[in-house]
Amino acid sequence: MVAGVGGRVAHNGAASGGFSRRAVLAAGLALPVAGCGAPDDRIVLRWWSPQAAPAQARAYRAQIKTFEAANPRYRVLFEPTSDDGYPAQFAAAFAAGQVPNLVSHLPSFAAQTYYAQGLLAPMDPVIAAIGADRFLPDANRPYLAPDGRHAAIGIGSTAVDMLWVRRELMAEAGITAIPRTWDQLRAAARAMQKGAVYGAPLPYGSNSMTSLVFVGFVHRAGGQIFSPDLDLVLDSPATYAALDFYRSMREFCPPGATSFGWADSLNAFVSGATATGIYGGRVLINIARQNPRIAQHLACVPYPTIDAQVPHWTFNDFPSLFMPKQAPHQEATRALAASLYDPEGYVRQLLAAPGHVLPVIKGITDREDYRGNTITTTFAPEIAAMTAAASAGHNLGYESPAHRPNVKAGEIIASNALAELVQRVVLAGENPRAAVARASRAIEAIMRR
Amino acid sequence: MSAAAAIPRAGISDRLLGPLLIAPVVVVLGAVIAYPLFAALALSLFAVDTLTLDAQWVGLGNFGELLGSDGRFWTALVVTLVWTAATLALQLVLGIAMALLLNRDIWMRSLARSLVLFPYFISTVVAVLVWRWLFNDFFGLINLALIGGGVIDAPVDWLGSMPNAFVSLVVVGAWKFFPFVVIAVLARLQSIPESLYEAARLDGAGVWARFRDVTLPQIGEVLGIVVLLRAIWDFKEFDLIFLLTGGGPIDATRTLPLIVYQEAFGLNRMGMAAAYAVSMMIVMLGFFAAYRAAVRGRA
Amino acid sequence: MSAGVRKLGWSLLAWALVLLVATPLLWMLSTSFKPENEVFAVPVTLLPEEWTVEYYVLLLTETSFPRYFANSAIVATLTTLVVIALGTLGAYSLVRFRYRGREAIASAVLLSYLLPSVVLIVPLYLMMVKLGLANSLASLVIAYTSFALPYALWLLRSFMAAVPEDLESAAMIDGATRMGAFLDVTLPQALPGIISTALFTFILAWNEYLLALVLVNADEVRPLTTGVMTMLVSGFNIEWSLLMAASVMMSVPLIVILAFLQSYLVRGFGAGAMKG
Repeated sequence: MVAGVGGRVAHNGAASGGFSRRAVLAAGLALPVAGCGAPDDRIVLRWWSPQAAPAQARAYRAQIKTFEAANPRYRVLFEPTSDDGYPAQFAAAFAAGQVPNLVSHLPSFAAQTYYAQGLLAPMDPVIAAIGADRFLPDANRPYLAPDGRHAAIGIGSTAVDMLWVRRELMAEAGITAIPRTWDQLRAAARAMQKGAVYGAPLPYGSNSMTSLVFVGFVHRAGGQIFSPDLDLVLDSPATYAALDFYRSMREFCPPGATSFGWADSLNAFVSGATATGIYGGRVLINIARQNPRIAQHLACVPYPTIDAQVPHWTFNDFPSLFMPKQAPHQEATRALAASLYDPEGYVRQLLAAPGHVLPVIKGITDREDYRGNTITTTFAPEIAAMTAAASAGHNLGYESPAHRPNVKAGEIIASNALAELVQRVVLAGENPRAAVARASRAIEAIMRR
Repeated sequence: MSAAAAIPRAGISDRLLGPLLIAPVVVVLGAVIAYPLFAALALSLFAVDTLTLDAQWVGLGNFGELLGSDGRFWTALVVTLVWTAATLALQLVLGIAMALLLNRDIWMRSLARSLVLFPYFISTVVAVLVWRWLFNDFFGLINLALIGGGVIDAPVDWLGSMPNAFVSLVVVGAWKFFPFVVIAVLARLQSIPESLYEAARLDGAGVWARFRDVTLPQIGEVLGIVVLLRAIWDFKEFDLIFLLTGGGPIDATRTLPLIVYQEAFGLNRMGMAAAYAVSMMIVMLGFFAAYRAAVRGRA
Repeated sequence: MSAGVRKLGWSLLAWALVLLVATPLLWMLSTSFKPENEVFAVPVTLLPEEWTVEYYVLLLTETSFPRYFANSAIVATLTTLVVIALGTLGAYSLVRFRYRGREAIASAVLLSYLLPSVVLIVPLYLMMVKLGLANSLASLVIAYTSFALPYALWLLRSFMAAVPEDLESAAMIDGATRMGAFLDVTLPQALPGIISTALFTFILAWNEYLLALVLVNADEVRPLTTGVMTMLVSGFNIEWSLLMAASVMMSVPLIVILAFLQSYLVRGFGAGAMKG
C-alpha cells in the first residue's frame, strides 16, 4: 500500500514535470532546417580541392562565376576536401563511382597512383585546349604517366623546402653569406642559436614531412632513393651522409622537433623562435600577418647541399589538376579545367596564397594584376628564387627528368618507412646500416605489390 | 513473482511485449551494420586494392603475414593494451572524483557541471591541435609555466621522446574522455536515496566509509558498464593518437587502429586492414567473454 | 557556520579542478579574440592586448560556418531522438522481461561495435550509395544511430535496472497498463540516466569526424567537424585565429544550453521522485 501511494505521487509529479521538460528540450533543440535551393535544371559539375582556406575559396568562386556565365547550361559545385583525410574520401568515392568531375591541388604522386589504377582520364586534351606552349617548360613533366600520356596537369607549383634566413640575426652572429653547404649551415645554426632562439626547425616526427625532407637531403648529398629504372638504391653513401647531417642538426633544433610537422616547423620560424626555416612561400603571408617586424630581414635560397659541387634539389609537391574517368560530362569538365587558366581568374587564385602557389603559365609574373599585390612586390626577389627552384623541382614520384614515374611514391611516404629510418638513427641511436636495411625491406615490399 | 504479474490485463501479453520492444533496435542494427560487418569480415580473406576494390583470394594469408615475423600485430597489441589500461584507469579515478565533487552543494554547480563536459564536447581534431600548442616549446603554456616556476630551465620534449610521448598521450586521452565517466556516475548518484547516507551517518560512518559502503555499491553496476564501454572505445581510439603523436616516436605509440588506417588508406591494402581489424575484434571478444564471466560470477 | 565553511572548501576545490580541466577552453577563448599578429608573439600573452571580433564576423558572414552549424544541430538532434526512443524501449525490454535469447541479443548488439570503424566506412558508404542516401544528412543520422545505439542500450539498461520494480507493480495494481506504468513510473525515475545517455549520443553525433568525412562531400550537408577542418586546417597551414573562433562557437553554445538544462533537470527530478 505504501508503495502504491509512492507510485501515485511519482506518477503525478513526473507526468506534469515530464511534459514541460519535453517542451524545454524541444525549445532548446529546435533549430532551423536547411533550406532547399530553388529548382535548377542546370547540369552540375563537382570540383574538389583540399586547398580551401576562405581566401582561396573566394577566388575559386569568382572563377566558377566566370565559367557559369560563359556556359549557362552548367552549374559548378565547389566541395572542399580534407588535406589529411583525402585518401579515405577518394577511396570511397572511387569505389562507389560517386566521383567529382574535377580535382585540384592533390600532389602529383596521388594523381599518378590513381591514374595507374585506371581511375583517371588523360589530361592531354586539356593541355591542348590551354595550349602546351603556354605552360612553363617541363611544367607538366611530373604528371607524365608510364603510357606517355598525362595523368594530370599542374595547377600551380610550390618550392616546399627553401632555406629561409633572417639577415639581421646573421649579421649579429657575424655571418656574411647565406649558407651554401651543409658545413656552412651547421656553423651558421651554431652561431645564431642562443637564448630562446634555436638554429633550425627540422622535423624528426613520425610523419610525411620527415620523410619528404629526408628524401631532399639524400639528393643534396648527391644520391637518390631509386635509380631511373626504379630499383631501390637507398643503401648508398649519400644516404649515410644525409643521415649523418640530419643527426648533426638535431642539437640546433628545438626539443619538440621530434614531433614537428609542416605547421609546427612554419610556426617556429615565423614566430622568430628559430633563426632559419625550411618551407615554401606560405612563410611570406604568415610573416606579413603574424610577425611583420622581421619581414624586412627575410631572405630565401634553395636548401644547402653537402658541398658546392652538388647541385640544388628542391622538393615540389606539384599541385595537380585531374579528372576522374567515371564522372559524366567530360567535355564540359575539360572546358571548366581549361577556363581555370584564364589569366585574370588564375592570377586571383594564385594571389589567394601569394608566393606559396606559384604560376605554371608563362607571363603571369609580369602581369600588372599579379605584381599589384603587396606581398608579391615586397618579396619579389624571394618569389623569383622560389619560382626558379620550383621549376627545377622534383619529388619522390619524379626524382629526376631521367626517372620513370614512380606510382608507388604516395604509398612509400604513407608507410612512414623513411621517417622511421630518421627516427631510428637520430633519436634511438640505432646502427644506420641496420636501419637502412630495414627501411629498404619495407620499401621493396611496397614496390613489389 | 511480482504482484503485478498475477493481475490479468487487457493488451499485449508480456511474452510478446518484451521481444517487441527490443525489435526496433535489432532491426536497425541488423539493417545498417550487418552488411558492412560481413563485408569487412570477408575482405580480410582477400588481397584487396582500396581504390579499385579488385580482390584476390588469399585465405588466411593476411593473418599469416600480420602475425608473422614481419607483421606488426604483437608489438602494436601490447601498445594498445597498455594505452587502454592506463588511460581508462586515469579516466575512472578522475571521473569518479569529479562526479562526487559535482554532486555536492557547491557554487554555480550547473555551470561547473557543464564546463567539465567541455573536453568531451570539443571535436578531437581541435582538442589535439590545442594540446599540441600547449605542449609547444615556444608558445606552450606547460613549458612556460614550468620554466617560470623554475622547475625546468629548457623546454621539455613532451610528444617526441619516450616515455614522455606515452604519458602525454595517456593524460590527454584521460582529459578528453573522463567526462563520460562523470556523466554516467553523476546520473546514478542522483538516484541514491539520501536515507541510505543518513542511516550510515547514524551508524557513525565517516566520509570514506560512506563512499565504500553506500556510494560504491550503488554506482557499481553503472561503473561496470562504463568500464566496458570505455575499454572498447579506448581500444579502438584512432583520431586522438593519430593526430597527437602519429604513432611515434618510431612505433612507441602505434596502436592497432593506426595500423588499420595506414594499411587501408596509406598503403591501399584494404584486405590487410580488415585482417588487422578482425584480429582486434577477436582480442576484444576475448576480453568481453571474460567480462561476462566476471559479471555472472558476481551475480 | 561549519556547513558554510565546508561548502566554501568543496567549492574552491571543485572549481580549481574544473578550471584546470577547462584550461584549453580558456586558451581558445583568449586566442580567438587576439589579432593574428599577437597569436604567436613571444613573449606569450595570456589575454589579448588588443581585442578583436574580426574572426567571428568573418566566419559568420563570409563562410559556410552557419550552415555547417545548422547541419550538425539537425543531425545530432535527430540522432539523439531516434537513439533515445529505440534505446529506452529496448533497455526496458531487457530489464523487465524474461525471454529466450535476451542476453544473446544484448551481447550481439555490442559485438556489432567491436570492429574499428576505419574498415566499416567504405562498405557503409557503398551501402548508402545503393540506398540513394549518399551525400545526405539522412546518411549521417542512420550511421550515427547505428553507432550510438549499442552504447545507449547498455547504459540505459543499467540505469533502468536501478529503478525499483515495486513502483511499477504498484502502479499496475492501481490499474495502469504495462506501457502506462513504463511511461509514468519507470521513465521519470530513470530520467537522469536517460538525459545523460542523450547527452552522450548528442556529443557523439556532434563530434564524429571520420564517417562524416567519407559519407558527405557536398558543402550544403557537411557537418561542423569536417566542414571546419577542411576549411581551416591543411597539412601545410592552419588558420589559427579562425579555427579558435570556430571552436569557441562550436562548444560555448552547448555549454550554456547544458548549464540551463541541468539546473532545470535537477530541480524537476528532485521534486518528483525522491519522495518514494
